[in-house]
Amino acid sequence: MIDLQPLWLTARLAATTSAILLLLGVPLAGWLAHCRRWYKPLAETLVAMPLVLPPSVLGFYLLLAFSPASLLGQWLQSIHLQLVFSFAGLVVGSVLFSLPFMVQPVAAALSSLPANLREASYTLGKSRWHTFWHVELPCIKPALVAGLVMSFAHTVGEFGLVLMLGGNIPGVSRVASIAIYNEVEVLNYPAAHVYAAVLCSFSFLVVLAVNLLRRHSERLAA
Amino acid sequence: MRRYLLTLFGSLIATMPCNPALAAPVKVAVAANVQYAFADVAADFTRSTGVAVEASYASSGKIATQILNGAPFELFLSADDETPRKLSSAGMAQLPAKTYALGALVLWSKDPAFDGKQWQSWLKSASGKVAIANPQAAPYGAEALRVLAYYRLTDSVKPRLVQGDNIAQAAQFVDSGAAQAGFVAKALVLAPQMQGKGRWVDIPAASYQPIVQDMLLLKPAAANPDARKLFDYLSSPAAHAILQRYGYRLP
Repeated sequence: MIDLQPLWLTARLAATTSAILLLLGVPLAGWLAHCRRWYKPLAETLVAMPLVLPPSVLGFYLLLAFSPASLLGQWLQSIHLQLVFSFAGLVVGSVLFSLPFMVQPVAAALSSLPANLREASYTLGKSRWHTFWHVELPCIKPALVAGLVMSFAHTVGEFGLVLMLGGNIPGVSRVASIAIYNEVEVLNYPAAHVYAAVLCSFSFLVVLAVNLLRRHSERLAA
Repeated sequence: MRRYLLTLFGSLIATMPCNPALAAPVKVAVAANVQYAFADVAADFTRSTGVAVEASYASSGKIATQILNGAPFELFLSADDETPRKLSSAGMAQLPAKTYALGALVLWSKDPAFDGKQWQSWLKSASGKVAIANPQAAPYGAEALRVLAYYRLTDSVKPRLVQGDNIAQAAQFVDSGAAQAGFVAKALVLAPQMQGKGRWVDIPAASYQPIVQDMLLLKPAAANPDARKLFDYLSSPAAHAILQRYGYRLP
C-alpha cells in the first residue's frame, strides 16, 4: 500500500549522518571538553546553534551556497560534486543540523570525568591521543551511544532542511517525513497514517532506549 | 509562579482585540501560482471597497486539506478545477465553483546559454536540474510532465527533474540558480519581482491540457458578506485586466 523507498532512504540518510558525526563529533567534543581558550564559549555556541535555528534558515542558505550559481557551487561542480538536490547534500545538511546531538552529550561526559584519570595516564607516559582513545572514550560509552542514537533519530525527524534543499526526488531526497507531507497534500491519508505510525513507533523506541541506557549507566555509577 | 502565569494569561486575554463593529477582512486561500496577481487584485479590491483582504498562499492540495479540516477560509482560488470540485462534493462550498482564469506554462532559465527558440534541443542537451511543481499535488507540475511527453523529452529530462512543494518553490529553485531551468506558471515570470531575472519562453498550448483555475466560495463566507463581494469582483473587468497582465487567459 505504501512505497517503502522513503523509509529505506531515511534509514540510509540517518545512518550515514550519524557515522560521519561519530567521526567528526567525538574529536570536536574532546577538543571542547578540554579547551581552556577564550573562544571556547564561541565554539560551544556555534555547535549549539542548530538546536534553536529554524531548519528553513539552514536549508535556505545551504541551497544558495550549493547552487551552481554560487562560487562554492561552481567549485563543487568543478570537482564533480553536486550538493543541491542530492543525497550527499542532504548528508552535509544533516551533519550540521544534528551536530549538537552528538557533540553535547559526549563533551559533557568527557568534562565530567575526573582529571586524575587522565593525569594518571600521562604520568605512565601515555600520549594525549592514546589517553583519549584508551582511557577517556571507554569511560563514556553510554554518552557515545546516546549521542549516536539521538543524532540518528534527529536526522529521521528532519523535515524543513530536506524540503528546502532536496527537491523531492524519489530515492534521492524523498525521505519519510517528506513522503508524509506529500501524501497529506494529495489527500491520501491512509498512506500518511502508515508512514506516521512507523515514525511514531520508531521515535518511541529511540527515546525509550536512551532512557533505559541512562538508567543502566546511573546504576553502574552508583 | 502559578499566580504570575495566571495574571499574565488573564491580561493577554483582556487585551485581545474583540471589536465586532469593525469589518472583518476576507480570508482567502490562494494557490501559489496566483500569489503575485492576487496581491494586485486584492489591493485594487481594497481600494475600491475599503474591505481588507487576508491571503494565505500554499499549494492547492495543502489548502484543500486545511479546508477539509476546518480552516476558516471564506474564498479559495485554486490552481485547478478538480480540487474545488472535490471540496464541493464534500459539502464545503456555498456556491458552485467558478472559473476565474486559465493558466499558462512557461520554461524559465537564468542560464546565459538558454535559447528560447530552440528550447527543446537546449533542454535535451543541458545537464542541470529541471524544476517542476509536485505533479501529484499541483496541475502545473502534472502539465509540465505532459509537455515533456508531448515533445518526447521524458527520457532525457526525467532523471534531472526536481520537484518543488508548489509552483512557487519550483520558481525559487530556478531563481536561486540551484536548478538550470524550470516549468513554471507564466504569472510568476510576469510578476514585477521577477523582471530582469533570466529569460523564459511560452510553451505551446497544444502540448498540454489547459490549466482551468476555479474559485470556490466556502461555507464560512456565510458570516461575511464581503467574501461574496470579492468572489464577484474576481469576474469584473478590473480584475480581468489584472489577471491578463499576469499572463492568464480569461474563461
